[in-house]
Amino acid sequence: MLNSCVKLLEQAANRRPDKIAFEDERGGITFKELRDHAKRLGTRLLKRHTGGIQPVLVLLPRSTDVIVSFMGALYSANPYAPVEADIPEARLAKLIENLQPGQIITDAEHLAKVTPYAGDAAVHLFGEAVSGEIDEGAVAGAVNSVIDTDPVYIIYTSGSTGIPKGVTIPHRGVLDFAEWVKETFRFDEDTVLANQAAFYFDNSIFDIYGGLLSCATVKIVPQRLVMVPSKLPDYLFENEVTAIFWVPTVMIGVANSGALSSRKLPKLKTVAFAGEVMPNLQLNIWRREHPDCVYANLYGTTEISDVCTYYIADRPFEDNDPLPIGIACENTRMLILNEQNKLCGPGEQGELCVGGSGVALGYWNAPELTEKVFIQNPINTRYGERIYRTGDLALYSEDGLILFLGRRDSQVKVRGNRIELGEIEAAALCVEGVGNACALFDPEKQEIVLFVGSAADYNPRKFNLALKPYIPNYMLPGRLVTLRELPLTANGKIDRVTLRDTFINGG
Amino acid sequence: MDITATIREYIRETFGIGDDPDFTDDIHLFDYGFVDSLGAIEIVAFVEETFSIEITQRDLTLKPMNTVAEIAGVVAEKI
Repeated sequence: MLNSCVKLLEQAANRRPDKIAFEDERGGITFKELRDHAKRLGTRLLKRHTGGIQPVLVLLPRSTDVIVSFMGALYSANPYAPVEADIPEARLAKLIENLQPGQIITDAEHLAKVTPYAGDAAVHLFGEAVSGEIDEGAVAGAVNSVIDTDPVYIIYTSGSTGIPKGVTIPHRGVLDFAEWVKETFRFDEDTVLANQAAFYFDNSIFDIYGGLLSCATVKIVPQRLVMVPSKLPDYLFENEVTAIFWVPTVMIGVANSGALSSRKLPKLKTVAFAGEVMPNLQLNIWRREHPDCVYANLYGTTEISDVCTYYIADRPFEDNDPLPIGIACENTRMLILNEQNKLCGPGEQGELCVGGSGVALGYWNAPELTEKVFIQNPINTRYGERIYRTGDLALYSEDGLILFLGRRDSQVKVRGNRIELGEIEAAALCVEGVGNACALFDPEKQEIVLFVGSAADYNPRKFNLALKPYIPNYMLPGRLVTLRELPLTANGKIDRVTLRDTFINGG
Repeated sequence: MDITATIREYIRETFGIGDDPDFTDDIHLFDYGFVDSLGAIEIVAFVEETFSIEITQRDLTLKPMNTVAEIAGVVAEKI
């Protein structure tokens, strides 16, 4: 039994040292190179480590350097916290205030952005940090001091108050999940994964650790290419990709582009997806063009090690026949609870809750937020068992499969990105001249509509530019409605129903 | 109309930019919010059809195409 996720890298580097582990636009890095770079980085981090668990913030552009940095942090017995290189500065400031990182890894291009907020944290430039010596004794000692319930990573997700929440995941959850990935999809050394998920989103855990455990090669799809889905089948063909785990938005784009029918993909075996609902229409296009692939609908949330349910879609689904999210993965327990915290019967709608080894340890430095959603399993009164309340609504079908029904609150998904509408509202209130703000999701156009109460007459693009210091690009509203005053309900709250009926539901 | 002007006017029209003085040939279309990520698909489709060229996945991977000038540069190489 392994205690740390970095042992997956050690095993792979012993078994297949010279095989390419990860590859980006610049080229590939072998398992041995990855391990040795990570050990150099780990050695460097340990020199500045002052004791206890101190997260390592990784702020680097999408590349193999990010993976080296993750593994380097693990060699120093600390969890890593990845953030996007183009993170808005105000968000970076809030995030660092919450994370209190011990050390930061970045590159020359982003150094000036990080330095003002670094505080006491040591800041390392990636290139320098991987060029030193390896202290084998020090890194071995550090790795052996880890136990599997220690945190492996902290991934930040949108928070409704405007402060991102740092989801803290233990090694054990990721180790168990990697086993599940390898067994379920029969990954091995011949597997070639095309990674689409950003490394600061939990969906990349599938690629990184499923890949390491299987000695597979992970090709990092360039971001520009993800934006033009009609070109992705050519990429899969030329790179002889055998497995993908992509967000449905990208799969829909590929299906709609027509590129699947002009490019056969004989090597592709596994097509998995999660992050939002995959529509039957586009899934059927994939199946028609590539009937021999295994199609897997996965469900997960950042608060669990990537994925907790799966459904192998082995038949076409038509029109309104809902695609199930299926059954629990082996290391997880799925409960659907009603308002009285009792188990729902088949067909009865309730809140989806998750237990098992992959459940997060909580939100980093936020005990109150943690207590609200990580609770004692109410069905189990005999011993302590934590479960996570997802806020998602679901039911069990007659044949025992879980069907996803939607959200209980104001969290939405836009192109697979999880967004709390409250975070956008909090950002809008930072723009000069805004009195109040309300963000709503338009399900038909799949975009966020932002209503602001202001005497100013904002240009939508300029308003988005004003929001950019506070929220990432994927949270920017698709439409802006400026009103002198927002309508209020009798008890003085913003009247969301009226706004929705007037401006979104074809009023 | 030359290549640059054709692309510039198409983007101006399609993305409702109007006579915004910030919209120059060298401004980053995505960072500055003139074009969203879905717009990239439309721009690639437009230049492929208008200039009868193919922008391959390799071009997208290896060449920056974030400004009007950069897009025009890639098109000019292909014609």
